[in-house]
Amino acid sequence: MTRVIRSSAVTLATGYVLLAFTALVLFAAPLLYAWQETIKDFRFEILQEDSQRLAHVFDLRGPAGLKAFIDERVGMQIAGERMLLLSDAAGRPLAGNLPAWPQSIPAHAGSYTLPVTLDGRHSMVAMVLATLPGGYRLLVGRDVDRFAPIERRFWYGLAGAVAVLTVAGLIGALLIRRALLARIQSTQQTVAAIMRGDLSHRLEVRSSGDELDTLAQTINRLLEQIEQLVHGIANVSNSIAHDLRTPLAELRSRLEELALTRPPVGETFAEIDAAVADVDGVIRIFNALLRLAEIDAGLRRSNFVETDLGELVAKAVEFYLPAAELKGLSLTLRDAGPTGARCDPVLLAQAINNLIDNSLKFVAPGGHVELEVERLAQGLVAVTVADDGPGIPEGDRPKAAQRFFRGDASRGTPGVGLGLSLVEAIARLHGGSLELADNHPGLIARMIIERGTAAVAGDPRHPRINPDRPRRDAEVTA
Amino acid sequence: MKILVVEDNERMARFVTKGLKEAGHTTDHAENGRDGLFLAVSEPYDVIIMDRMLPGNIDGLTIIDALRKADNHTPILILSALGDVDERIKGLRAGGDDYLAKPFAFGELLARIDVLSRRRRQDATQTALEVGDLRIDLLARKVWRGTRAIQLQPREFQLLEYLVRHAGQVVTRTMLLENVWDYHFDPETNVVDVHISKLRQKIDADEERQLLRTVRNAGYMISAEPPPVT
Repeated sequence: MTRVIRSSAVTLATGYVLLAFTALVLFAAPLLYAWQETIKDFRFEILQEDSQRLAHVFDLRGPAGLKAFIDERVGMQIAGERMLLLSDAAGRPLAGNLPAWPQSIPAHAGSYTLPVTLDGRHSMVAMVLATLPGGYRLLVGRDVDRFAPIERRFWYGLAGAVAVLTVAGLIGALLIRRALLARIQSTQQTVAAIMRGDLSHRLEVRSSGDELDTLAQTINRLLEQIEQLVHGIANVSNSIAHDLRTPLAELRSRLEELALTRPPVGETFAEIDAAVADVDGVIRIFNALLRLAEIDAGLRRSNFVETDLGELVAKAVEFYLPAAELKGLSLTLRDAGPTGARCDPVLLAQAINNLIDNSLKFVAPGGHVELEVERLAQGLVAVTVADDGPGIPEGDRPKAAQRFFRGDASRGTPGVGLGLSLVEAIARLHGGSLELADNHPGLIARMIIERGTAAVAGDPRHPRINPDRPRRDAEVTA
Repeated sequence: MKILVVEDNERMARFVTKGLKEAGHTTDHAENGRDGLFLAVSEPYDVIIMDRMLPGNIDGLTIIDALRKADNHTPILILSALGDVDERIKGLRAGGDDYLAKPFAFGELLARIDVLSRRRRQDATQTALEVGDLRIDLLARKVWRGTRAIQLQPREFQLLEYLVRHAGQVVTRTMLLENVWDYHFDPETNVVDVHISKLRQKIDADEERQLLRTVRNAGYMISAEPPPVT
């Protein structure tokens, strides 16, 4: 990881330096060329003028006059700045500051830039050759190397700029790398802590609000969801461990005792029957959990059909009526007539039965349980089971639908504490929710589901991605 | 009855075959799909008990499909660890006659086999049913015990009809839930028992001979025969 960061920062810096260098060269090269060309043209122009002036002197005063003129000028001038040479047709020097006609100088008149050895010094000389009447030849030249220091300074300047750029680039890369590494390291530490199992850690978010912060915020939200899920799983696992371990422990001790004490046959069979009943209890818990998992996964949406909810409730009431009468309770249905809904009838029947079952278990003899089916606004429908039993204390109500939760009132009653969570899961699958309220005294359990007419139901093959969030509008109407 | 048990789990197979033998049936056992299919087509059986997930390439549903395509209509009870309603529907659609999820109570299996084996003899156009002096008029939906007319709620009538149609056979609580109420889950309370005792009140109260009796650890049976002395 560190190597990747280092290389990415250095690559970035190198890239920028190269880019700047290229830009610099692209800027400097034509400038240098233009500069050199201009100087060259200008130089030849001056030499040409000089040569013409000397030729004019020659025209006016003849060879001797020009010789005197040149000698005068050479005597006044600094050596080397201007080269002058007048020779006769045979090439013998007559005047000038060159001791002899340099070798390798072409015979024709014109402008040249040629290496010339002068006083044992080699230098480039720009020169204009002219042929005067009578075969006299005139050379006017200038040492080009005199400008070399200026050009050198130009190159030094360029090199300096490149050096400054490179250093700045490297420092920039180091700074970027340090800042990046610091952020990445803090992220790594957080992630490592999370991987060690402490899910409460969050990534550092600075106030700058840059891209890394946005990323950190997104990851933090992800972590929050994961933490919630893990807690949920942990809760369920704990509950499963507890509620399955209890009957299994009972079963184990029963069987072990049987093996140890070897009671008479009749007693043994009674114990075996009890053991089988224990196993049945465990199986029931398993079935309920499996069904819950199945509902939570949203798999059962494929079984949605058009169903009369009123009829479903009426049937459930009729199913429980003898049991209610036996316990001395009144079980009534406020009939609302046919209420169509698109739902899974098997699951809804189970949910309704669970609600009635729950009430029948807790309401004391002489009590009342009343059911009602109502159509609500926004394509919702509610099945309400109201009783005048002990109810659920307000503090316990949010927990009542949690898996394996058993309130104080349920101690000593049959059941595994999955009834209401199953109802809640089924309601959620149907786009609704389970609400628990106080009936003063007693409990009002209200299961709200979507009627799921074509417009509301959506595609049954694509259940809502987040079934954990019941629709808000379901709660507004309550 | 001659029963074929196709089941790969040795212990489960032994449990089932032993229980069936004790109930007076003869059994054959196949422990994979190939043997199961071979036995099923080559021997006449009264009932086949079929596991769904079998070793080898041939699973239970494939065997059932092959048998039905070969016009073999031996009643088949699917015995499977896949217990969802969806899986049940899949099994029944494939041609199974009944579906029982593992783990199960042996009494439940025995009762269902009994019902399956006699299903074919039933006459759908029957208009009346009788057990001892209990008479059911299916058209008028009326019930008499001797000369006494008995008033029944519609659901009670359905319950009695189901019991009488399977007179002499054990009917389990689950079978009643599935067939009378169409409920495919276990209510936590003993609601079925209450329905039965209410029905018993209506048909057996003050009668010398009790027709509807509880079979311990299994379910209920309606029969004119006195209970066997054990």
